[in-house]
Amino acid sequence: MNIIKEIWNKRLLIQTFAINDLVVRYRNSILGFFWSILEPLLMLTILYVVFTQLFKSQIENYPLYLLLGLIMWNFFSRSTGMSLTSLLSKAGIVTKIYFPREILPLSSCITALIMLTFEMIIFFVFVLIFRFIPPTTIILLPGLLMIEFILTLGISFPLSIFNVRYRDIQHIWNLLLYAGFFISPVIYSTTTFPPKIRDLFMLNPMAQILEMSHNAVIYGTLPSLFDITYLSSVSFGIFIIGYLIFRKYQSKIIEEL
Amino acid sequence: MTENAITVQSVSKQFKIHHENTLFNRFLNHVHNKKDTDELTILKDVTFDVKKGEMFGIIGNNGVGKTTLLRLIAGIYKPDSGTIQTSGSMIPLLELGTGFNPEMSAVDNIIMYGKLLGFSDKQIRKRVHDILAFAELERFADVKIKTFSAGMYTRLSFSTSIQIDPDILLVDEILSVGDVSFQKKSFDAFMSFHKKGKTVLYASHNLESIKNLCDRALFLQNGRIGHIGKPEEVIDAYTRTLSDT
Repeated sequence: MNIIKEIWNKRLLIQTFAINDLVVRYRNSILGFFWSILEPLLMLTILYVVFTQLFKSQIENYPLYLLLGLIMWNFFSRSTGMSLTSLLSKAGIVTKIYFPREILPLSSCITALIMLTFEMIIFFVFVLIFRFIPPTTIILLPGLLMIEFILTLGISFPLSIFNVRYRDIQHIWNLLLYAGFFISPVIYSTTTFPPKIRDLFMLNPMAQILEMSHNAVIYGTLPSLFDITYLSSVSFGIFIIGYLIFRKYQSKIIEEL
Repeated sequence: MTENAITVQSVSKQFKIHHENTLFNRFLNHVHNKKDTDELTILKDVTFDVKKGEMFGIIGNNGVGKTTLLRLIAGIYKPDSGTIQTSGSMIPLLELGTGFNPEMSAVDNIIMYGKLLGFSDKQIRKRVHDILAFAELERFADVKIKTFSAGMYTRLSFSTSIQIDPDILLVDEILSVGDVSFQKKSFDAFMSFHKKGKTVLYASHNLESIKNLCDRALFLQNGRIGHIGKPEEVIDAYTRTLSDT
């Protein structure tokens, strides 16, 4: 409980780290902060063109399906990717000043959350362009994002700490992310899969999150009670285990920075 | 009896030394039951306290554990055994320019640094003017600090730390940098800081400055305390060990 209070007291620092990471990205560029909107806009447009014009899909409202999936997946891959190097890249500060180390992976995840917000704005621009009226179940989206945030943070904690000792982690993780992109329903849907295979796919919490958000935002269907219980317990479980690992190893591994 | 600002109770610290090894060598070591790591004892059963308002010096040879001791007090490292207690806000000045981002302006860096140390935006903004004035950098307030000379950089970071006005300042051998006028200025800044009843823990190789500045001092020898007391005595004890070897 103490640690929560300590982190809360350092919320200004978290804010500074999170925003600085974002600002530094676009430093020395002429368009500056506009890039944070422009970059995802162009990126999503390219993917939209490729996947709707070159590959025809049977999925209903496929452009929005695809955009939403990409945004939700981007958050996961960016958060974990930035957290991975969060301790290493701030080694100069970590070895000179004390603050709760949890702040570093946490602020990386918050940076990714801010980027997600920008992308969501673009998503809703596309929603308007397609004259799509979202179903009321869209109110579930913030809740799903919260679960995704907890899951992501739970994975980010151990990644950030172990990457200090074993740099192999960053290469392995990038490969896993690459694989994860294809075993999660971002560009395809699992609805046409045979039930047994589909159940196997759905063990992956990211697959659950993606499917639930697709259903909530586009198709107006609620997740089953079983699925939501499964997803929440896996996410919280990963969060707790990840955090305990972080606590256990952090003080020793910090000395290696 | 005066209160303690810092209490260090029988603190020990060991480090693991990782020998750089190829995967194959590690495998061989594993087969032959050899270890990849060694233990290195840096501090052994160190006990001392610093009173509130005291200027306390630490001397000792290179690698004797001065910086490790400061890092332990700052909370960056955890002791293997023993306890450390501090009271009041504390700034560790282990290196000048910690957390400075060369791509940001002087003012932004001051604010960033203040936040790193746990101060609020308001608290820092109130002091920005004084910080720049002390560092004699008013004209460069909104200039990216990557264009600063080393001296300007040093002045900015030292000024930030001392103007933020903590209760305790941990200083690690930084006054040896900078030109003579800056050294004089930081010396004066320390003295006025000290006069306000603040505590300074100061590790240095500059015995002259320890003698002039500090109320008490200790010298570290092989991870243990060699001597604690008046600076003159401590420096004597220290120089004696040097001439012995």
